[in-house]
Amino acid sequence: MSEHILEVRHLSKSFGSHQVLTDIDFNVSKGDVTCIIGASGSGKSTLLRCINLLETPTGGEILYHGQDVTGSRIDQCAYRAKVGMVFQSFNLFSNMTVLKNCVYGQVKVAKTDKAAAREKAMYYLGKVGMQEYINAKPDQLSGGQKQRVAIARALAMEPEILLFDEPTSALDPEMVGEVLDVMRNLARDGMTMLVVTHEMAFARDVSTRVVYMADGVIAEEGPPSQVMTDPVNPRTREFLARFL
Amino acid sequence: MLEKLFTDIAGIWNKYGMVYLDGIKNTVILATTATVIGCVIGLICGILNTIPVSSRDPLPKRIFLKIVRIILRVYVEVFRGTPMILQAVFIYYGIPYFFGVSFDSIWTVSIVVVSINTGAYMAESVRGGIMSIDIGQTEGAKAIGMNHWQTMTGVILPQAFRNILPQIGNNYIINIKDTSVMFIIGFSDFFAVHKMVSGAIFTYFPSAFMEMFGYLVLTLVASGLLRLLEKHMKGDKNYELASGDQLVMAAGTYKVPSSAEPFEERSREFGGKR
Repeated sequence: MSEHILEVRHLSKSFGSHQVLTDIDFNVSKGDVTCIIGASGSGKSTLLRCINLLETPTGGEILYHGQDVTGSRIDQCAYRAKVGMVFQSFNLFSNMTVLKNCVYGQVKVAKTDKAAAREKAMYYLGKVGMQEYINAKPDQLSGGQKQRVAIARALAMEPEILLFDEPTSALDPEMVGEVLDVMRNLARDGMTMLVVTHEMAFARDVSTRVVYMADGVIAEEGPPSQVMTDPVNPRTREFLARFL
Repeated sequence: MLEKLFTDIAGIWNKYGMVYLDGIKNTVILATTATVIGCVIGLICGILNTIPVSSRDPLPKRIFLKIVRIILRVYVEVFRGTPMILQAVFIYYGIPYFFGVSFDSIWTVSIVVVSINTGAYMAESVRGGIMSIDIGQTEGAKAIGMNHWQTMTGVILPQAFRNILPQIGNNYIINIKDTSVMFIIGFSDFFAVHKMVSGAIFTYFPSAFMEMFGYLVLTLVASGLLRLLEKHMKGDKNYELASGDQLVMAAGTYKVPSSAEPFEERSREFGGKR
């Protein structure tokens, strides 16, 4: 058995003849906060979606505690319940209240009893500062609020690792801060996180490792101090020059 | 002229009023039951039609799903593409012809025919309703580990249902009118009463006048009820803040607590539990 939670090996993905990911290799260990940066179209989001099996990889494997999850034999739902995901477009269930959004998965998937699920939901909604909005419907909330609820919903499943797919890209600038604050706190609490982001300051300050992707391959990876201040790859340098 | 019409109608009504009312009752029961069952059929078809398949699924599963989809396709095309009056005859006489068993009640066969006919139309409406829901809703559900059935019944169909409600209304109104073809197998609905009465006392026009009026009232009531339902399903536009707890901070001024203070507000909120 491996000590990594997640191992991605030789992962590739193509849409028709368009190769999006080529031979991706990397590991995630407990407590890692990995930020994936790179230009739009470099395959960051696709990589994240492959990890959560929202896209079916065309090659390679993804090992979760040493077990390949890309095959048909594993229980995809059980795996996804342990690997949370936060989307750019929130994807809250618009037919449910904030509280029910956070309770429903627990009751249906994790088979938690209703009272305990509610309590856990309240705890995590408290963590993201949304506990007073439990009766609101998603349509009645601002973008930042929705994203915080989405984070609480993912946390309520008590995932081992949380994937963030550009969680602040759809937000107005003044709401980016509240979501990043929540994520910063999660990182400090020791949550294992894999974050696709364009927030370079967040990547620099919060992550334990930065992965720079270009044209579907990992062009450079390492601790933020190295990748972000002293990149080896000239492409990384060029990319970062536009942000920092 | 009008005076004569009303006298005729009054005459029919005095003699056959209860028979007409009975016909209305049968029409309403048949149309309502069949619409409800037809909707259920449509929803099930919608769920079956949208089971995701990927190239990584095992072959038997893919073949099975392919067959299910073909069967559903054939069902929809056959029952949408043939007249209901013929379907009624076909099933009413076909089943005894092939299986040697006959229906014990004209109600059973009528409900079966109208339900599966409605189901064929509803299957397509439900499919459209499901397609109208943002793919993000499905992905959000998948991402927390929900399976297809849970996603459909908990997230997608409740939202799709609102979009297909006008279609359900359409089908209900069509059923109220079109169940009149069931007279062909001897079902005594509202229209069958007209045939029976005017055949007995030759009052074709006054009876037809009553029928027109009766059907119009029924369909107007039905569409009114559906609008009420639609309004009800929109839900409340307002929501209450779950305050009352003084530790809950006002909106917008809330600062996310750092992990150094492990959320005392929670422990007090729940009376220190856990």
